[in-house]
Amino acid sequence: MVTPDKERAAEQAVPHSFKKKRGDNYFMEQKKIFSEPVKYDLTFAREIYRLENGSYIKQCMNCGLCTVSCATRDVMEYPPRQLFNLIKLGKKEEVLTSNTFWSCTSCCTCKARCPRGIPIIDVMHDLKKYAIEYGYTDYPQAAFYKAFWTEMSSRGKMFEGGMTARYFLTRGLDEIVKAMDMKDVGISMLKHGRMPLLPPKKIKGLGGLKKIISKAQELDRKEAAR
Amino acid sequence: MRYSYYPGCSSEATAKANAHSIEGVAKALDVQLEEIPDWNCCGASVASGVVGDFTQLVVTARNLAIAETKGLDVVTGCSSCYMTLAVANKKFKQDEHFRAKANEALAAAGLNYNGTLQVRQFLDVIINDVGLDKVAQKVKKSLDGLTVAGYVGCQTVRALPFEFDDPEQPVFMDRLMEALGATAADFPMRARCCGSSSTIPARDIVLDLGYKIFESAVAGGAQVIVTPCPMCQLNLDAYQSLVNRKYGTNFNIPVLFFTQLMAVAFGLSLEDQAFKYSIVSPYEALVQYSK
Repeated sequence: MVTPDKERAAEQAVPHSFKKKRGDNYFMEQKKIFSEPVKYDLTFAREIYRLENGSYIKQCMNCGLCTVSCATRDVMEYPPRQLFNLIKLGKKEEVLTSNTFWSCTSCCTCKARCPRGIPIIDVMHDLKKYAIEYGYTDYPQAAFYKAFWTEMSSRGKMFEGGMTARYFLTRGLDEIVKAMDMKDVGISMLKHGRMPLLPPKKIKGLGGLKKIISKAQELDRKEAAR
Repeated sequence: MRYSYYPGCSSEATAKANAHSIEGVAKALDVQLEEIPDWNCCGASVASGVVGDFTQLVVTARNLAIAETKGLDVVTGCSSCYMTLAVANKKFKQDEHFRAKANEALAAAGLNYNGTLQVRQFLDVIINDVGLDKVAQKVKKSLDGLTVAGYVGCQTVRALPFEFDDPEQPVFMDRLMEALGATAADFPMRARCCGSSSTIPARDIVLDLGYKIFESAVAGGAQVIVTPCPMCQLNLDAYQSLVNRKYGTNFNIPVLFFTQLMAVAFGLSLEDQAFKYSIVSPYEALVQYSK
């Protein structure tokens, strides 16, 4: 004999879309479910297409050669191929919170091999810039990139010591503790004269360089607004 | 042969050995390198992730604009610098819209670049301008009996594919080592990535890739790894002990710039050989060749 409890359990096990209620027209209901289109919000995709190299994403035919070529695919949440698909589908959060573009080391293997000629590493650069602009900076690489640029643009040359200090100041104590086994590397670099403690001299044309940078960004903004 | 020389920021810090050995080798081969006055950082493959491709390429082009006043082709000893300089240069040559826009930005500092120069790598110059015959003539102490893994790395050959070597299986580094009398190791990882600047934010990427590279080099019987790239040299040399710690291995393979090995074969001064900057000591492997 079937108890009411068991009957309810059996009913719950049936997927919602196949539930048949007494008195309802089963087929009408099915038709209603299947005729609803899947909705994609393409605002995000269009925004990405407008980036410097963004429109190349439309050329992707999902062959996956980038994925098999990628040096860091083991640590990537989505390989480049999947990331491009997610962009096409407008999945903003999935794209911007993934570590894919932050893991890219710009080794150019995918760029050299892509049968559609997509400059994949440049698209990744665009995504990094976009993520920083919109505050998706949880990954340590974001802090590293920002530290690199600040150091470079304030001196005209790179000073590794200053960049590392900036990076760890942004990331906080946890990261410093995690990096403790790096101290051996640091000490041996110091010992072999490869880590100057004082920054290099600022370049003489630093004023000019800063003017070039602000002009270039102004032109960029102008073109993006068009 | 005269060139404008772009040393890159690493030449003053992590890759002093590169700068010293390039200087020595260039002198020995009658290649005149004239440093670009007041050059600035090229931004490597990082800056465009913060400010975008265009701004970075313009910042890089400042160096080209300064070099153009002298009219000498630009040579660099760093793969990352080569990538940004060469890509910027190519855009100036091919993309009119880009050239006009970039020159508008450069004009803010009174500069202008017409795209008349070539951007070259020092390895490219040695192979194609100097020639391997001349290199072989200069060898005083043949590296006979030494097996070398020629680690070309990624951006050297793939920044602009087919510019001077095959992007997947480059051969010039091996030919150069053979010209010095050494044996080129069978080394399938010769053009794979070393992890680049992930050392600080995501160290495991570098350690994992480094492990694969060392494994491949040792399997090919290499006693020394040589590279043209400061980033590869740093990652493989300074982080070798951490790779050993993570994987329980005991790799002890010196990683040098190819120019350092040339300095050894040419019998140049110890200053030019620049072994003192190496963290994994190369003395043991090279004791019978270096004076």
